[in-house]
Amino acid sequence: MSTEAIPAEKPKRNFNALFGLTLLGLLVLMWIVLAVATPSFATALNITNLLRQGSLIAILAVGQTFVIITGGIDLSVGAIVGFTTVIVALLINAGWPIWVAVLVTLLVGVAIGLFHGFGIVKMGLPPFIITLATMTSLRGIGLLMTNGNSISINSDSFQAFSRGSLAGIPYLFWMVILVAVPSYIFLHHTRWGRYLFSVGSNAEAARLSGVNVPRTIYMAYVLSGLLAAFVGVLLASRIGIGNPTQGDTYELQAIASSVIGGTSLFGAIGSVHGPLIGSFILSTINNGANLLNVNTFWQRVITGALIIVIVYFDGLRRRGK
Amino acid sequence: MTSTAQDLHPAPTLAPGRTILELNGLEKRYPGTHALKPVHLAFKAGEIHAIVGENGAGKSTLIKLLTGVMPRTSGEVIWEGKPAALATPHEAMALGINAVHQEVVLCRHLTVAANMFLGEEESRFGLLQQRAMVKEAQKIIDGLGFDLPAHVVLGDLTIGQQQLIAAARATVRGTKFLIFDEPTAYLTRKEADQLFKLIRRLKGDGVTIIYISHRMEEVFELADRVSVLRDGTLVGTRDIAETDEPELVKLMINRSIEQIYHKEHFTPGARIVETKNLSGKGFENVSVTVRAGEIVGLYGLIGAGRSEFVTTLYGRHRKSAGQILWEGKEVQVNSEHDAIRLGMALAPESRRDQGLCLNLPVGINLNLPIYKRISSNFLISGAKEKTEADRQIADLRIKTPTRNALASSLSGGNQQKIVIGKWLAHGAKLFIFDEPTVGVDVGTKAEIYRLFSTLLSKGAGIILISSYLPEVYELADTLHVFRRGKLVATHGFRTASHEDILGQALAEKQEKSGGQK
Repeated sequence: MSTEAIPAEKPKRNFNALFGLTLLGLLVLMWIVLAVATPSFATALNITNLLRQGSLIAILAVGQTFVIITGGIDLSVGAIVGFTTVIVALLINAGWPIWVAVLVTLLVGVAIGLFHGFGIVKMGLPPFIITLATMTSLRGIGLLMTNGNSISINSDSFQAFSRGSLAGIPYLFWMVILVAVPSYIFLHHTRWGRYLFSVGSNAEAARLSGVNVPRTIYMAYVLSGLLAAFVGVLLASRIGIGNPTQGDTYELQAIASSVIGGTSLFGAIGSVHGPLIGSFILSTINNGANLLNVNTFWQRVITGALIIVIVYFDGLRRRGK
Repeated sequence: MTSTAQDLHPAPTLAPGRTILELNGLEKRYPGTHALKPVHLAFKAGEIHAIVGENGAGKSTLIKLLTGVMPRTSGEVIWEGKPAALATPHEAMALGINAVHQEVVLCRHLTVAANMFLGEEESRFGLLQQRAMVKEAQKIIDGLGFDLPAHVVLGDLTIGQQQLIAAARATVRGTKFLIFDEPTAYLTRKEADQLFKLIRRLKGDGVTIIYISHRMEEVFELADRVSVLRDGTLVGTRDIAETDEPELVKLMINRSIEQIYHKEHFTPGARIVETKNLSGKGFENVSVTVRAGEIVGLYGLIGAGRSEFVTTLYGRHRKSAGQILWEGKEVQVNSEHDAIRLGMALAPESRRDQGLCLNLPVGINLNLPIYKRISSNFLISGAKEKTEADRQIADLRIKTPTRNALASSLSGGNQQKIVIGKWLAHGAKLFIFDEPTVGVDVGTKAEIYRLFSTLLSKGAGIILISSYLPEVYELADTLHVFRRGKLVATHGFRTASHEDILGQALAEKQEKSGGQK
């Protein structure tokens, strides 16, 4: 019952900045440890491999973060990835020029996002439900379209993209940068980004302030759908097939990356760089565990435990505010 | 543990008149505010002790400390001669301290009986004895003289009836010390009478009652003693027989009416908005005109249709009939967006639910309506965003460390300034304030009223909704009284007496209350 001094503002702020650094620090620390502990980690082959592995989830995590900032969730992104590998494979095999096939596939992602927006805004369904429904149905539609078979893509140039690199960095990782930079500007330096935060913080207050809340929600899900379709294209290029069961549990990895990166599932808190770091932390765990010959079953346990630890500390940080 | 009808008559361990609960320098600080300055006060067993004070005076803080909802910062609480930590609600309840809150905090989806026994259900072999509990609950309710069924779902009852159930619930748990926090705010007169009967009966059984109310007549009707809180300080305790209303009011506000209600008169200018026989959900046939430089007050009870009228005007709900004229031309306001584009601004009633993005910085909250203006092409101008926010913070004297502090870290008054302030930059012409000073301390109140004058001097018009009569009475140039969705009377500045206006707002309710179930 002693008189508690009111903590000053300053130390907390530092603590905050520290947290952002800690995440990056954690990632770098993991790299250093792995580089020392294993002979194969710090090799060009492994690094490019790691970047390729992490890229897909990183892009998904950015889209997922837009949705989570509005206080929603998009469970369908993994299914969209699988579904769009089929779409792009079918279109390319039908002889469409690659760029047209890719564009149309991206538009399919946009359409799915619009459908989510429609379900939430017009039908009043919770985001969890509408995206859960699409998650199941899309895989079903994809299986119907392919009769359950994989479709081999007969275009070498399409597949070559995922293997190529520029300035020693794989194209796939360049795609992360291509997505991340505009996303960063969009989220932090445009009014639509501010509106995403305001809707997630208090939709009613945002609406009364003249923010078009339905449009903002549509926008978040369209971006998530678009980025998921983009990942579908990249994945199809990487594995050379279209298969609706691909991208299994990608949505969970994307959500985990986003949350590890400091996004609050209650909305209104999040960034672009956080989820990116989060996704590469996850890929590094997997990569490192493989190199250290850790049982793959244990990898899952470790990943789960780490999510709890990181999000717990994040919660402490926010309560401290 | 099972409850029986015996619990209806808790046996107080202390003879009436002895001290049951003593506050020894009880104090509460929040970051940035000193909500309750050290309070020394002794409650006597079996008394009804009223606590009065303005919004923000520290009444709710005191309740939260006594019921263990929040820990105190310092001080001592002596319960029946022994120090009590009161660290958890559970501990308070175990001692026999209970509260009936202004808002019903029960489970609306459960039955009345299930609510009465929530946490103390009767069960046999692990199975709930539902029928027995309903029977038991009905016996208790009947015993209290309430004409309410125990088997219905709580949410199907009126708010007033729910409040009675909450009170009944609090009495069956061996309660020795019961706090009522503005229990009559939502009650009809008949329901209030039933409640008063219950309170007197509890007193007869030796229960100590704290009764918190804004309504002076209730305090004088019920209480044995009264304590006054002002700005977190206990400024006096009186025997009810030795005091009167003027003395209590003076203790409560410690300044003259004129000092608070800063009123400048401007010559009304052009008509900004006019409604002609506007009807919609919850109100009908309302014709109101607001001109530049005037405050139009809307007074009435909660649910009288004032808020519904303004939210329809603001495009939230569709009107069912009538016209809205904006600067002389008929307009369709189909969304808040339309309203904002015309030049309306609404500072909503519930600032936490509707007015603020609490976990976003002050700066973003202030700029939210004007991001279009401070963006060029796609990008927000960082410099403009900064200067706009800082200017507002300075103009409105918002107490915040920086524009990057979260809105949730500010005091209620300063939050309210943000809600109002964000529209100043937007340049609105018609400002609608729905209960702008609820939960705001006197000093901030005066500042908000001064802000009204600033707005008026710039040629804006104001619609002011308030359930607090002195506020609309002292500020409104035109005062409309609402009752049951209709505009029943219109007065000029201070042209009618408080009693007349109150009568017009209440009349029907009093007539009707006899027939209510």
